[in-house]
Parts: sequence; C-alpha cells; structure tokens
Amino acid sequence: MATVVAMVAVLVLYPMYYLFQAALDVGLPDTRPPTAYGVANFAKLLDYPTVLWNTLVVTCAATLLALLFGFISAWILTRTNVPFRRTLDQLMTVPYYVTPLLGALAWSLLGAPESGFINQVWRKFFGTEALIDITSPMGIAWVMALFEGSVAYVMISAVMQSMDPALEEASAVMGGSRWRTMWRITLPLVAPGVLGAAIFVFAEMLGSFSVALVLGTPARFYVITTAIYHFVSQYPPRIALAAAMGASLFAVMFAMLWLYRWLTSRNSFVTVSGKAFRPRVMDMGPLRWVLFAVVALYVLASAALPVATLLFAALQKLAVAFPAASNFTLDHFRQAFSINAVRTAMLNSIMLAMVTATIGVIMTGLLSWIILRSRLPGRGVLEYLAMFPQAVPRIVFAFGMMWAWLVFPLPVYGTFWVLLIAYLTVFMPLGVRTISGVVLQLDKSLDECGQVCGASWWYRMRTITAPLLRPGLLAAWLLIFVASVRELGASILLMGPDSKVMTPAIVEAWFSSSSELTAAMALIQTVVITATMVVFGLFTRRLAQRAVSAP
Amino acid sequence: MTTTMSNPAPAIEVENLCIRYGGVTAVENVSFIAAGGEQLTLLGPSGCGKTSTLRAVAGLETPTSGAIRIGGQTVYDNRAGVNVRTEQRGMSMVFQSYAIWPHMTVFENVAYGLRVRKHGGAALADKVRHALDLVKMGQYAGRNASALSGGQQQRVALARAVAFSPSVILFDEPLSNLDAKLRSEMRIELRELQRRLGVTSLYVTHDLEEALAMSDRVVVMRAGAVEQSGTPAEIYDLPRTAFVADFVGSANLVSGDVVASDADRGTVAIRTKDGLVVHGVTHGRRVEQAGTISIRTVHLSLAAERPAGEVNVWPVQIMRSVFLGDVMQVHVLWGAQELVIRRIGAPLNIGGEAAFLHAPPERCALLEASG
Repeated sequence: MATVVAMVAVLVLYPMYYLFQAALDVGLPDTRPPTAYGVANFAKLLDYPTVLWNTLVVTCAATLLALLFGFISAWILTRTNVPFRRTLDQLMTVPYYVTPLLGALAWSLLGAPESGFINQVWRKFFGTEALIDITSPMGIAWVMALFEGSVAYVMISAVMQSMDPALEEASAVMGGSRWRTMWRITLPLVAPGVLGAAIFVFAEMLGSFSVALVLGTPARFYVITTAIYHFVSQYPPRIALAAAMGASLFAVMFAMLWLYRWLTSRNSFVTVSGKAFRPRVMDMGPLRWVLFAVVALYVLASAALPVATLLFAALQKLAVAFPAASNFTLDHFRQAFSINAVRTAMLNSIMLAMVTATIGVIMTGLLSWIILRSRLPGRGVLEYLAMFPQAVPRIVFAFGMMWAWLVFPLPVYGTFWVLLIAYLTVFMPLGVRTISGVVLQLDKSLDECGQVCGASWWYRMRTITAPLLRPGLLAAWLLIFVASVRELGASILLMGPDSKVMTPAIVEAWFSSSSELTAAMALIQTVVITATMVVFGLFTRRLAQRAVSAP
Repeated sequence: MTTTMSNPAPAIEVENLCIRYGGVTAVENVSFIAAGGEQLTLLGPSGCGKTSTLRAVAGLETPTSGAIRIGGQTVYDNRAGVNVRTEQRGMSMVFQSYAIWPHMTVFENVAYGLRVRKHGGAALADKVRHALDLVKMGQYAGRNASALSGGQQQRVALARAVAFSPSVILFDEPLSNLDAKLRSEMRIELRELQRRLGVTSLYVTHDLEEALAMSDRVVVMRAGAVEQSGTPAEIYDLPRTAFVADFVGSANLVSGDVVASDADRGTVAIRTKDGLVVHGVTHGRRVEQAGTISIRTVHLSLAAERPAGEVNVWPVQIMRSVFLGDVMQVHVLWGAQELVIRRIGAPLNIGGEAAFLHAPPERCALLEASG
C-alpha cells in the first residue's frame, strides 16, 4: 500500500514540486538547484496586465456563453416536448468528441477576418466589411464556449433530471402558472447545481489552451496558458516567469475545483437527489419546433459545421468559399500520408495511446479497487492524489514535468517515456473516475458470495470481478486511448524531435505549412479516433451478446 | 428421509464476540450456540449488531475479540490468533441483496459452489437441477440471471446456497426485499427446506413474525448485546426485559411496588400508583421492592359484567376502538394509564364506556429490573 501511495505521489507531486521550485527561484539564472528563493517572479506577473486581463475577459465570456448553451439545451431537452428528444440528447455530446482544437481550426477557416468563408460570403453579397472576427477575444470565447457547452449541458441536465417532479406538480396543483412554477420553484431548486456547473466550467476554461493558441497567437493575443507556452518556447526561455504564471493559474484552478467539490458535497438541497426522476414535460405546442431548431443549431455550429468545413478546405488546392471545379484535389490527404514526419507522428500517437490506455487501465483499475474496496489505511490520501491532476492545467503540469525530468538521472526527457509518464499522470483522474463508477455499482456481496462459496481470490477475480468490471475497463481503455491521441497541452512541451505525436504536429502544420494540409491531418486524426470507437463499440456489443447467449 | 442423520450437522458456537469499528462498538460480548441441525435466529432492530455478528461467523468481518467455532473447529479466536478465511470455512450464505451474478445464467450461478469444489459433468448438472427443483425454478436454468424478478432471484440465491450440500447456511435478511405475501409464503418454504436438509442455520432478521415462525431458538439483540435468548414461545410469553416485551409483539407494561411474592410458587403482586393490584409470575426472576409486569395485548379480555371471584379484574373506561381487519384494537383507561387490548373479530358487545378488564395472572410476566 505504501508503495502504491508513494508511486502515485511521485507521479503527481514530483512535477508540482519542480513547478514551485522554478516559480520561487530568484537566484542566479541557469543554476539548479536555485541559489535563492523569493516571490519576485510573482510580482513580475503584474508587468503583463494584458495577459491577465485577456484571460479574465475570455474566460468569463466563454463561461457565460457555455452556461447559456448548456442551460437552454438542458431545459429544452428535459422539460419540453421537443421533437426527436433522444436523438438530440445523444447529439449534444458530439461536440465534446469533436474537440476544441478541431473547432478552432475549422472556425478559423470560417471566421478569419480576411479569408474566412463566412466573411467571403458576406462580402460577396453585402459589402466590404468582415461580418465576424473569430480571432477577437469574443471570437475565441465563442469557440471555447461552443465546445464546453456540451459539458455544461451534461452537468445541468443531470441536475434537472434529478429533481422530483412532485415539487413542480405541487405548485401547479395550488394554482401556480407554468411560468410562476418555473421562476419560483424550478430555477431556485436547480440554482445550486447550475452554480456548481459554472464553477467547474470556469476552471476548465482557465486551463484551456488549444483554442487561444490557434486563434489568438497569430495576432499576438495571449491568455495565461498560451503565454506560458510562449515564455517556455521562445529564445531565451523565461522559465521563472512561466513557472510563476503556471503556479498562480494552478492555485486559482485548485481553489475553484475545491469550491466546486465543497458545493456539490454539501447537499443543501436534499430535494435534488442522485435519483433520476422522469421530469414533467411541458407541452410547447408549435413552439417546440423552434426549440428543436435552437438545439439543432447548436449541434450544427459545434459539430457538423466544423467537420464539414475542414473537409471542404482539405479537398481544395487553396481553400476559398466559392471554389471552381478544378480547385478540388485529394493531394493534401496524399501528402499527409506521404510526409514521413506526419506518418511517424500518427503511428507514434496510436502506439503511445495504446500503451497508455493499457497500462492506464491496469493502474487506475487497481487504484479504484484499493480506494473503494480495500480497508487499507491511506486510501483517502490515495484518492486525493489520484484526482489531483484534474486541478492542474495540462500545460502547467507539462512544464513541471519538463523541469523535473531535465534533472532526473535517467535520460527520459525528450523520449516517449516522458510522454507516457505524463499521459499516465494527467489521465489518472479520467481512468479512476470511469472505473470507480462501475465499481460503485457493483454490490459488494457479489464478491462476498463467491467467497462464502469457497472460491479463492484469483478464482473470484477470474469468474466474478473481472467479468463484471469488463464493460467499465473497456470504456476506460477507450476514453484514455482517445484522450491520449488528442492530447495537446502536455505533449507540445514534452515531445522531442524523435518523439513527435499527432496533435502537436497538427498545430505545427497550422503555423508553418498550409491550412488545407492541416485540415486533412485533423480529419485523418478524427477518422482514426472514430474508427477506433466504432470497432470498439462493435467488439463490446459482440462480447455482451456472447455473454447473453452463453448456455 | 433424513440423509444427514449419520453425519450430524455441526454446531455454531460464538463466544464473547466483540466487533468495533474505530471507536464505535457494533457487537459487545455476544455469545450463543446454535446446535447441530437447529435454526437459530438473531432478531433485533437495525443497528443492533445482528448482521455484523453473522458476517463475523461467515468471516466477512474481522471481529475485535472473541471466538467462533463451527463443528468444534475454531475458525476465529483472537487469543489463539486464528482467523480462517471465509472461503475455507465451508459454509453457505444467502445475502440480503441476493448477490445473483448478473453475467451468468441461472444454471451457472447455482453451479458455482460445485465448480469451486471441482465437481463437473453429469454429477454437477444433476445436483444443480436438484437444487433448482427444490425451489421450483427448474425451467429457468438457461435463463440469464439479470432477467429474473425479485422473487425468482431469491429462489435462485437459495438454490445456489444449498446446491453444494453445505452443512451450515447463513441467512442475512433473505426475505426483506420481497413483498408481504411472497414473504409469508417463502417463510414456510424456507423452514421446510431447512428441516428437510437438516442443516444448521443462522438466520438474521428484524421481522418478528419471521423469527417466531422459522426458528428453533431466537436470540434477541439490542445495541450490540444479547437481550434474551430462548425458544420463540419463551421469548413471546416471558420477555425478560421491557425492550423484548415491546420488540417481540405488542405488550402493555405496568409498574408498581411489590406488595406480595411467593418464591415457591413463583408468583408476585404489585400495586400501581393508582392503587390497582396486578398478580403475575416471576419465572425465577429476582423480586425487588418495585417491579414492572408485561401483559401482551392479546392476553387481556373485556367484559360488560364483572367476572366473579377472579384476581386481576379491574373496572376500566373504554376510550376508543380501532378496526384493524383481522383484529380489533381497543384502548381503555386503566387508572390513569392507557392500556391496549387486541381481540379477534367480533365487535365489542358493551353498551357504554364502562367495562371490566381481565388478565390471567399466568400471562402477566415480571420483567427483570434493569434493561
């Protein structure tokens, strides 16, 4: 047990130690360990008021927008008789899989002030001005919100579904009108849940990196995460400043997530229980088609449109809004497959993701089991440690790792090993959360019964525990695999010249070669991920059917 | 008929069992013996430590101290440092949640204990079928276990528990998740099965009727300790404490000063604050200066005319009667105290509010002073 705790602690805390060491280092430059400690680096942050201000503006705007998207769709889909409710509910999670990076690339093609497709169309018919500027702070916030809206939706609709409809029915019985019920009963009851979602979304936005990197950097618009990347990757790097920024960002995010946990664990509104009710559905009459359009429009803007845009751009020699027939080509896809660097990055990513997912499932499976099922002392600490990486923006974590592994006696820096270690650490909360969900649903007595029947630990593991956990383990494997293939924030700082991976390669291509090639690469990555998920889905269904039809 | 006669079922002995979780004591100094082939029930309200005790016997819970022996074999003894692992204790158990493995068929669920014991082939199939037939689930063998109703799951859990012919079966509130009608049916079936198999069983429940109907002996527990143990009739007729009197059925408790007692005949009489005298039996319990007597609600009778020449006859005021279906519950004012009487069926044939209450002295049990 002590070994497990120590191992997780090293994975999680060792990089954090180096982050703070660098942030507090005010001694001689380029000397490690530091010769003097102080808080001067933090004071220097005030020399960059624009970065702080940009971060605040973008984060607040994006949070508000994302909550708006999430709340409206959650209300429409849980409380009204909108048509195709179940299909829409499933579609609402698609933006999460499309990823903000893909969205940023696509929306850049759509909304760049000069070349953006939407602006080209606008100019053709309505004049010379650009209609939208996606590289403005509001544009960046818009793209961020489109993709986080999906997360807000999942959280808020869960709150709305867990409310006992009898509370609303009571209001109706006593003569309260629909709107009165909504304002006086529904809203106050879901308010704590929405507040929780707001804090969670805000914290995620603070740590988000890819959208601001793609849309903001070319115009020298920096938020804290992109500024950290900038300070580390410029020459000469400004390590101390980046560390101070990272440490401050971590502190704020940690506080936010702590607040979130505190709020959600307090259960001040007992009426909103974990139980799922069938909520009361309002008959909206013909208005329901308008509500349908609202949700459909969101899915369109955050999922269908970005993918279609990338495809449209990747198929052209030079992407424009009104291409001639001769402009279409498959060259970019051909190129993506023929450039050695791209091909290697792709294969590297897939290999690395498979190894990460396999080791990750074993590791997080073991952790979940210890945390939830063992009586070992220190399992509370273990849970805390395992969930800790959630509170650290990945770019900040990667910075700590970079700084830590540079002085580590083993030569792992710049190799796949450091990426593997980083992935295993940052995806630990994802794995533990997924597997814990399944472990929690398993009645303890299922295992105890095997015990009473005389089965040994291994026999029970083989015949009872493992088969019952299999769906959860497979789901965790898939989630970690997909997350690893798409990982950007940590990889971009930690990959070396001989350990290139896909997502940072896409970003590099965006900045240094053509946007058409980038679009093709992004699409290939999406296809790989989608194919994996489909194959996996079929495979697990086969397993499930086999289990059912077994004699 | 009884195949186990030549090889009698082992006794379960629990001695001075203590279970503590951190600073909380769940079970304190609990001792009892379930003789071979006997059904012993641990009865008590939730949180009384009965389930912890059962789980300690199963080895699913590690006690703090005490000893547990099964068939003379020590499976747990803190002083000797013995703690045999659950899987080596060789018993069987029916769980409150049934613990039917959802990823297996009914057949595989029932076959599990046999497979663990390396049975196979036709002998295994035979035993599984026999166990399923016992609970009338024969035709469900191929069914996926996740597609069963609560009652069916309960039966499968039972079949699984008996399939490998264990000699000790533990039951952890196995009927509590069934509806009332099914529960009373299963109660009888379970009892029949236990008798037929001749196994020793330890049964945990908070349901009084279940305990009285199914057990050879009952151990009433309260706050981690044994309150009283005995046959169902003893527990019911002669509750040792106010807690047992109240928990095991409904009783009226009356207190007063002891005015007479006869140690040889085992009788006692008390006088209440209102000056009413109650005659009762001591059942060997120590008589102090004051005492409390328990009278079951069904042992009281009402009459319009005074029954001639009897002790324990008092004039009372009828306050209200409540129709409960099978029984009628009548509340009367007895001195300044309210007593409850339960009588079968027929409506009360008393015109006014005044009536006479009678309780046979042999049905009035003196309780132990403390408790």
